[in-house]
Amino acid sequence: MKNNLGKRSLHLFFFLLSFLTLQAEDFTYTFKVDQPNPYVKEPILLTLDLNQTNHDVVMLFSFDINPSEDYTFQRLDIQKTESYHDAKIHYVYLIYPLKSGDIHITFDLIKKVTTDESLAYSFSGDRDNVKKLVTTDTQIDLPPLQLRVKPLPEGTVLVGDFALTYDIKKHQAKAYEPLPFQVNIKGKGYPPLVETLLPKEGNFTRFTEKPIVKSVATQRGTQSTVTYPMALSYSQSFTLSPIVLKAFDPKTEKSYTLDIPSQHFEIEQVDTHRLVDTVDAPDSVKEDWSWLSTLLGYIVAFFAGYITALSWKWGKKKRQKENHPLIQKIRNCKDEKALLQVLIAADNTHFTSSIEKLESSLYGNGKINFNKVKQDSLEKII
Amino acid sequence: MNEQINTLKKEISKAVIGQEAMVEGLLIGLLCDGHILVEGVPGLAKTTTINALSRALGLDSKRIQFTPDLLPSDIIGAQIYNPQDHSFSIKKGPLFTHLLLADEINRAPAKVQSALLEVMQERQVTIAEETFKLERPFLVMATQNPIEQEGVYALPEAQLDRFMMKIVVQHNSEAQELEIMRKAASKGFGEVQTVLSIEDLFALQEELGKIHIDEELEHYMVQIITATREPLRFGLEEIAENIMFGASPRASIDLYKAAKAKAFLRGNDFVTPADIGYVIHNVLRHRIVLSYEARAKGIHTDEIISAIIETLPIP
Repeated sequence: MKNNLGKRSLHLFFFLLSFLTLQAEDFTYTFKVDQPNPYVKEPILLTLDLNQTNHDVVMLFSFDINPSEDYTFQRLDIQKTESYHDAKIHYVYLIYPLKSGDIHITFDLIKKVTTDESLAYSFSGDRDNVKKLVTTDTQIDLPPLQLRVKPLPEGTVLVGDFALTYDIKKHQAKAYEPLPFQVNIKGKGYPPLVETLLPKEGNFTRFTEKPIVKSVATQRGTQSTVTYPMALSYSQSFTLSPIVLKAFDPKTEKSYTLDIPSQHFEIEQVDTHRLVDTVDAPDSVKEDWSWLSTLLGYIVAFFAGYITALSWKWGKKKRQKENHPLIQKIRNCKDEKALLQVLIAADNTHFTSSIEKLESSLYGNGKINFNKVKQDSLEKII
Repeated sequence: MNEQINTLKKEISKAVIGQEAMVEGLLIGLLCDGHILVEGVPGLAKTTTINALSRALGLDSKRIQFTPDLLPSDIIGAQIYNPQDHSFSIKKGPLFTHLLLADEINRAPAKVQSALLEVMQERQVTIAEETFKLERPFLVMATQNPIEQEGVYALPEAQLDRFMMKIVVQHNSEAQELEIMRKAASKGFGEVQTVLSIEDLFALQEELGKIHIDEELEHYMVQIITATREPLRFGLEEIAENIMFGASPRASIDLYKAAKAKAFLRGNDFVTPADIGYVIHNVLRHRIVLSYEARAKGIHTDEIISAIIETLPIP
């Protein structure tokens, strides 16, 4: 009798909690929860209605659920009135609790108050004259929503109403040939994602891919189709152990199983010697000395290039000397006076000795070998 | 006399390695009472050379660093009021010396350059109402830096003409650089001693006047100067368009003096065409004004001078 009374009191408390209207300074907000006492991973529909009561100001709201490891959520809908002085906003969320016991869902609500002028100014004008909407923001402390979450029966991996289908293309294959194996889990409930679908028993090789998830959240829950593409391979015949997934449907509060019976795969052995190409098989490896001729070729090419560069360098000085404008002028000189004239016109500090010899011959009593002086002058160039 | 010159050169070489062209230019300037313009990058021993020359001759030397904010009174001197006895006294500027190094003359504004160049010409300074004659010898070695031409006041051609020679100083050879480096590291530069007196210098200047120069060579020099003014007359079509203005009469005078001084320094008592050849570039390179075409083509006055020497037949 006491127990029954306690249960009834608890149900009444959660019923009151599930429909809670509160009055803030200039607006009211109403939370509705369709299931205040859910199972783990059972969908809960949460609605929030915000109604502006102070119509003197323009009021805007920013609302969301705070993320937590205790639950996951998805916003399904927002409906707003177009009136700026009479804001009415309706939020719809789908929440899945992820652990049993008491969990608290916390909220983030900001009230933004502005004026008609600011609002009009921020929306008027062209794209180059956009002003930020100036608002006075107030963080509203909403009380957390408490849920008392019931635990799942032990060993439950899926929560909802699901059906399992599987597809095995063939049960016979050659050694190491892949055997495609695909499993589909479809139904309504918490998205049916299973970490390891294949049993641990057996030495065969498992090839798995990331499951393909298609899910649509509605106010009635989440409709999901999860496909597990896999393949198996082995050198010998093997048996895949039966796969049993324990599921729980919170609507009926009953557990059920999704089964894949044991599968046997026949593997045909392949004679590996038959795979060797005995007709066009290459000759056995012989000593290859072709690298030596290649190396010699490279060495010859290197030295040829090196000597060419050196010969150009050796010839550079000679070429420069030949191209010097003074060379031809000195060579064209027929007599001592002409040579003296060319030398004093040039950079005469280089030709001091030649100039002195020519001077002594022309204006003194000295005797010189004209061709030798000419040659000396040529040698001093560069 | 040639021994004295050799002794002087040897004494200067204790402090200055290489730079024979600059030393010889200074000696020519000193013998001929001329002034020298030196163009070269910093660090080519310009101040050292002036100091060494002044010590070797027992002369005063001063250095003025020309800057954009320099005033004429900074170099000439000024009249200073003495509040104690309510009198004015003359404070002589650094111009009152024998050898003056005017460093980076093109950094100072025109009024300062003009003040210096006027003193160079007149060899006298007027401060307030008092005129002072400068002591002989008076030689100005002005320097110009060929790089860093931003924010400089280029010397006008009329003022450049007052310099007897413009010497382009080159870097030393590798061997000379090595010797400088070693001597500088070991403080091995010798102390320059006074080897000649002012009287000896005046005597050398007297001797210079005795150097013979042939009439043909005199005509040759005049022809060279005239060729810079009227190149077409001498068949110098290829350089005619490169010359805007030729050399002035001062060039003739300075070439004449410089050729004699060169012959004297070489120990000869007569001038040869080679002596003219040795000094002609230094005497004329700052006196020929190039045309716009020549500047655009990057032609240098040295090339024009060489072309003239190559064309005019030597006596």
